[in-house]
Amino acid sequence: MTEPTPVQLFRQEEKQKQFRSGVFFLKSGLLIFFLVAPFLLPSFKTLDLALKILIFAVLVASFDILLGYTGILSFGHVMFFGIGGYSVAMLIGKYGNPSYLNLFFGFLIAVAITSAIALLVSFLSLRVRAIFFAMVTLAIAEFAIILASKLSGFTGGEDGIIMSMPGIFKVSYNMGSFIGLEMTGRVMTYYFIFIISLVLFLLMVRFIHSPLGRVMQAIRDNEPRAEAIGYKTFIFKTISICFGCLVATILGGLYVMWVGYANPESVLGIPIMLDVLLMVIVGGMGTLYGGLAGAAFLMIAHTFLPDLQNFAKDILPNAHFLHAVLERWLLIFGILFILVVFFFPKGIIGSVQDYAARRKMARSI
Amino acid sequence: MVQTTLKPWGLKLAIGGAIVLYLLPLLGMDLKTYLTLTIAGLAMGMMLFLVASGLSLIFGLMDVINFAHGVCFAWGAYVAFSTFRALNKWVTADSVFYNFLIFFIAIAAAIVVVGLIGVIIERFLVRRVYGSHLFQILITFGGMVVLTEFIRILWGPNDEVMPVPRTFRGNWDIFDIIVLRYPIISIVIGLLVYGALQLVLKKTKVGKIVRAGVEDPDMVQAMGHNIFLFFTVVFAAGAGLAAVGGLAMAIFNVQVYPDMGDAYLIFAFIVVIIGGLGSITGSLVGALIVGLSYNYVAYLLPPLAVGVNILIMVIILLIRPTGLFPAGK
Repeated sequence: MTEPTPVQLFRQEEKQKQFRSGVFFLKSGLLIFFLVAPFLLPSFKTLDLALKILIFAVLVASFDILLGYTGILSFGHVMFFGIGGYSVAMLIGKYGNPSYLNLFFGFLIAVAITSAIALLVSFLSLRVRAIFFAMVTLAIAEFAIILASKLSGFTGGEDGIIMSMPGIFKVSYNMGSFIGLEMTGRVMTYYFIFIISLVLFLLMVRFIHSPLGRVMQAIRDNEPRAEAIGYKTFIFKTISICFGCLVATILGGLYVMWVGYANPESVLGIPIMLDVLLMVIVGGMGTLYGGLAGAAFLMIAHTFLPDLQNFAKDILPNAHFLHAVLERWLLIFGILFILVVFFFPKGIIGSVQDYAARRKMARSI
Repeated sequence: MVQTTLKPWGLKLAIGGAIVLYLLPLLGMDLKTYLTLTIAGLAMGMMLFLVASGLSLIFGLMDVINFAHGVCFAWGAYVAFSTFRALNKWVTADSVFYNFLIFFIAIAAAIVVVGLIGVIIERFLVRRVYGSHLFQILITFGGMVVLTEFIRILWGPNDEVMPVPRTFRGNWDIFDIIVLRYPIISIVIGLLVYGALQLVLKKTKVGKIVRAGVEDPDMVQAMGHNIFLFFTVVFAAGAGLAAVGGLAMAIFNVQVYPDMGDAYLIFAFIVVIIGGLGSITGSLVGALIVGLSYNYVAYLLPPLAVGVNILIMVIILLIRPTGLFPAGK
């Protein structure tokens, strides 16, 4: 038995500590919260909020793989979310009956289409200068929105597609009561989505900590150098884009399963892309967990801002300009976005990590 | 072998090929429709040129992709809309002089207002993030959202009908071909702007410094010119060009709406990617390609109108990743 190297020693030490650190308790606390959320939050509005936070947190994390870990800014990420949503909605809503098989095929087709498009997009636009990538993906995403709203015979146009769920995911399904909670189709869907999202998220954590993920971070930090070391950056970027987009597409399908409809505004629109961007910036780029913080912050703000408006109207009934400003949710959004990018570029999780690292440094000295 | 033989003929071949390609739609329609569509396409191309040239100039000199460019376009349209509303008497007057007077007043107002917005964007937003493309895109994207919302607050969220000066309405009848007046006017304006831009860039000292700045900003600064001042000026000029484009497009479509910038920003991106970032001539050629193909395809296969432009962009990116007329950098 040879002497362990310092790195191995360090890792052993970390391993022993990992179940005692605050981060571990925070993570398991969050996990337990989402696990028991249907029991704690019986009203539909709050459960809806919790699940949307969950879905968007994972979506933002998948976007973070592209933006924060590989350094690629894509405006087409929500397009893949929409592809997943539309694929599932079409298979069980418009072109088939609600059954488990169709649901499965919906996801399968979504994954197939997304892989093809993601490969195509990355082959085309990674060839050009990095700054074109944002422009090309924006153009393609816009095209997807136009297609979805103009080809109304195929996609249902602006109205989109409404469908009902098969079997145990049906809203009217009821399995009886379990510890005081009615196990309705809603709750079943919640747990189904929760499990899949969790698996996807763990997959992403594994992905970025793998050697592959390390190469991607090297590309983000210094692409010419990564190339000089001998990595084919083009291939690694393509893998990163495909992986991120596949996660997004599955999430799109899950989202549609929850809300029960798919239309251009709800799963494809530029405002959603903006939300995701803001979430990733607020949460912190290159942290994965930042997605959860950003999604929670924005989703809660989205849900409770109307109350704030009513409150402002009550206390200041005559300030019409203020009302006009408050009614423009996106305005507050945009200003917030600019301020966050200027003064808080690392986001919530990034800043906390910085703080923790500084304290650790101070203690070790 | 083929390449070396063809090389001296490359440009002529390309032009010839393009002409043949643009005569192809004749197979699907009669000559009159074709001419009408061509004129509409050229007019649209000229307006896109106004937007894209600003974008391209800003990128060429400052290395900044301005996502807020589309909203400058919309602001131009709305400022003109307000000007026309305020001086409605001259808009409806049956006098060529007054119609053109109000048209030029609207252009001047749009350039001044949107130029100021451009200065504000450059000074307060873009200046702080020079050098980082990612943050430039994020910041200008945020600027776009905020400015769009300001349009909604100031002018209301709904579509409005754009007043059109009387002279610009109606058409001429040339050999049984009906030629709308306004597209011809906008083509002339586009060509004038192109000429003026080339003149400024090629013949004046400011233009020389700007062109030198595209090549090597550090060296220009070392020569004792305040390059940041030129950044502001070019940004304002680019925003002003977008405003003129927006005004022209609003009159063309007879409507203004707050989101109009987004759709044309996509077009402008396609144009500059086709033409090559930083080149004025490239913007003109790219804009004409996009304008013409959009109009032909919109007539023949309506849902694919935007798709064909993306297809052209993709093909050109495959052949020449830097666009047709790449500039200095």
